[in-house]
Amino acid sequence: MDRAAIIGVGMTKIEKSKVRETFADMAWEAVNKALADAGMSIDDIDNVVTTSSDFWDGRTISCMAVGDASGAADKNTSCVEGDGTYGAFYGYTRALSGSYKTTLVTGHSKGSQCISSLITNASFDPICERGLGMDMITACAMQANAYMNRTGLRPEDMAMVSVKNHGNALKNPMAQLPMNITVSDVIKSEMIADPLHKLDCSPVSDGCCAVIIAHESVATKFKQKPVWIRGLSLCTDSFFFGDRDLARSNALVEAAKNAYKMAGIKDPKKEIDIVELYDAFTYQELLWLEEMGLADYGKAAKLLEAGEFNINGPLPVNPSGGLLSGHPVIAAGLYRIAEVVMQLRGDAGEHQVKKAKTGIAHGVNGLCGQSHCVWILDKER
Amino acid sequence: MTTKQKKGFEDSYVVEGKMALPYTYFAGSVGSKFITTVRDEKKIMGVRCPTCNLVYLPPRQVCDKDFTDIRDNWVDVGNSGTVTNFTVVRYDDKHMPRKAPFVLALIKMEGADTPFMHILEECKFEDVKIGMNVEAVFAKETTNTILDIDHFKPVAERASIQERNAGRKKWVADNENAVHGKQKGGKPDMSKPVIIAAALTGAATMRNQNPSVPYTPAEFATEAYKCWKAGAAMVHVHAREDNGMPTHDHERIRATYNAIKDKCPELIVNLSSAVGMGKTAEQRISQIIAVKPDMASLNTNTMNFSIVDRKTGKIFIEYVFENTFTMLQEFGKAMEENGVKPEIECYDMGGLDNTLLIAKQGFFSEPMNFNFVWGVAGGQAFRSDAFIAMMNAIPANANFTTCGVGTDQFPCIMQSCILGGHMRVGLEDNIKMPNGALAKGSYEQVEVAVNIADSLGRAVATTDEARAIMGLRKK
Ligand SMILES: [Zn+2]
Repeated sequence: MDRAAIIGVGMTKIEKSKVRETFADMAWEAVNKALADAGMSIDDIDNVVTTSSDFWDGRTISCMAVGDASGAADKNTSCVEGDGTYGAFYGYTRALSGSYKTTLVTGHSKGSQCISSLITNASFDPICERGLGMDMITACAMQANAYMNRTGLRPEDMAMVSVKNHGNALKNPMAQLPMNITVSDVIKSEMIADPLHKLDCSPVSDGCCAVIIAHESVATKFKQKPVWIRGLSLCTDSFFFGDRDLARSNALVEAAKNAYKMAGIKDPKKEIDIVELYDAFTYQELLWLEEMGLADYGKAAKLLEAGEFNINGPLPVNPSGGLLSGHPVIAAGLYRIAEVVMQLRGDAGEHQVKKAKTGIAHGVNGLCGQSHCVWILDKER
Repeated sequence: MTTKQKKGFEDSYVVEGKMALPYTYFAGSVGSKFITTVRDEKKIMGVRCPTCNLVYLPPRQVCDKDFTDIRDNWVDVGNSGTVTNFTVVRYDDKHMPRKAPFVLALIKMEGADTPFMHILEECKFEDVKIGMNVEAVFAKETTNTILDIDHFKPVAERASIQERNAGRKKWVADNENAVHGKQKGGKPDMSKPVIIAAALTGAATMRNQNPSVPYTPAEFATEAYKCWKAGAAMVHVHAREDNGMPTHDHERIRATYNAIKDKCPELIVNLSSAVGMGKTAEQRISQIIAVKPDMASLNTNTMNFSIVDRKTGKIFIEYVFENTFTMLQEFGKAMEENGVKPEIECYDMGGLDNTLLIAKQGFFSEPMNFNFVWGVAGGQAFRSDAFIAMMNAIPANANFTTCGVGTDQFPCIMQSCILGGHMRVGLEDNIKMPNGALAKGSYEQVEVAVNIADSLGRAVATTDEARAIMGLRKK
């Protein structure tokens, strides 16, 4: 099988409200950073994949607003609806097709411009569910409840994730919410939907991220050292909420299993050095770690408490601060990829982890992790 | 649209807009039937997938597990269920149906396998628990939406059998007095808890007679679980094929047995060694040896076992149920050797005498457990005095239970309960309730048996107590 690598990444600072910037402004910044990072010009890019969603973009047929999404025109373009990791997955398959050598993948969103809860409410079944008021927060509150009920996880355990990730963000200049907080700050923050406190939830954010994927034949042609895509898989669970075991994530188990298999990873606990995952809510970091096989089921909180997932621990998780410190919907998964790439190259600056050869970047689509996309990236080919 | 400037960002206009686009959602035939049934009949309907047997709620067109078209297999899932998950919504928003705070819950309806979501009201937030029982409250005025179920509320119910039993002293065998009721000065001894068994199917009861008859392992597990919840300590099982035919196939019987044990590990499972009409002696006993259930039926005489029109006396199906002395002996020995306690089925006094004769060989472990069966066309009908004669004929330390076909069912178990014996109900013996309505499942007849025990002040046996009383191996 042919190989592909990520040869350039660029991200804007994640902010609460970029009042002065349009989508095009953000894309201009992120794409130029990625091109500069790779040592390329826009003419070196032979195709573009954007990720966008009509309601988050506030426009219909948003896939055609390529200028706003990527700054690019007169190119072969395509669009994926959903998280940026899914757009990048498509970019990767294009590279493998042999027809495309260099793919620019972008993802952007401005949560500040919309009301996310109304958009996520409208994702529910219009006949049987929508009128009941479910949205992303209430859905994830139920998932948190199911997970706590199954594993005995306590609110204090979840709160530790918030403390760690906001603390990590202090060292990441791109993060929106660097904070020095304690478990009790999290528990005392406003209850949004039981058992989720305000500090268990990721914020509303604006941001744009761009990555450049190259086929192996050109991966070393440009200035930047390539980070190789070793394993990649996605899997989607049932749409209806009640059809799934909310306390588990079968889709993630499946996606991770296949990604490890592709990468030839036998013992992920030993072979993975760093993880950037989709912690839209505190409990998700623990649940996703367990379902990826990086902790035993129901045991991640214990490892977290012991410092295993700290930035200087044996398996740093979300050294960037994660989604809890900045959650630009759609772009969030691409930020995870970009962060892991920086870490593996040793370019992460103040939040650089010590040993990083192999890393996982993880993205989610749908409510409560209905669908998961798992990337195994490696600094060595 | 309006434009405005944000304070501190005078160089950057923002334009207030809206993505409000009219849209007509077609509910389709499935969604329409679901909503109109809620509206017009106050009934909540799901669909069953014939391939994987899951009952889906909300109903849908296709099972996404096996890609089966399921849109026409409607089932009434009942109006009550249990909370499997919930949250208290603490914020107000345009899309919320209630002012915060209020509870949103996932509710698994009694007859459904997938929970669906709704609003939970009429209870304090701190009382909401996973596992609590709730029932639908229908809207007074229809809106033709899911809110025609206005909300769910907690079911006020008596303590479940398991809870009641947890609150009383556990029964333990008293060796000196370990004899059955008739021995105490002619007075019935009702001090022992009464064991309620549910015979889920038999070999002859079919779904066209009562749609609740289980065929698949998953259906057996669900029915057995409901019976256990209602108060049964044991289920009696004849495994079926998917088409309802009784089977002697070891794998199918084992799958059925395991499905019940997985769903309800403590429940005692009693398998039939009769299986169904026309099975050979080998087919009848080899499955018991293979699966080694807690208990198995042991039939005591060769007899007519026919299907006869009870009103006209016309014979529909003629069948001789073969249970020779040799079979009685060999089956009995095989069960005892494999740790399977025989339930000795007596269809009349002759069968009981056959057993007492064979028992002289000494291979039956104590205590022996008899079941007096009434109303088989070929056996004797239920008569109070015949019951007492049978009871007086069994060994002093033996147990007895009873079951009756059709309208014999409830009178015979009532008499048994009064006399200190045990009770068996279930769709194998009778598809109806005392008032003549179809039973919703064997569990509904278990509820009648519990009421009988309650009226007599007899405790209902837990599975542990039932094991101790009948001398079964530990689970
Ligand atoms: Zn199915």
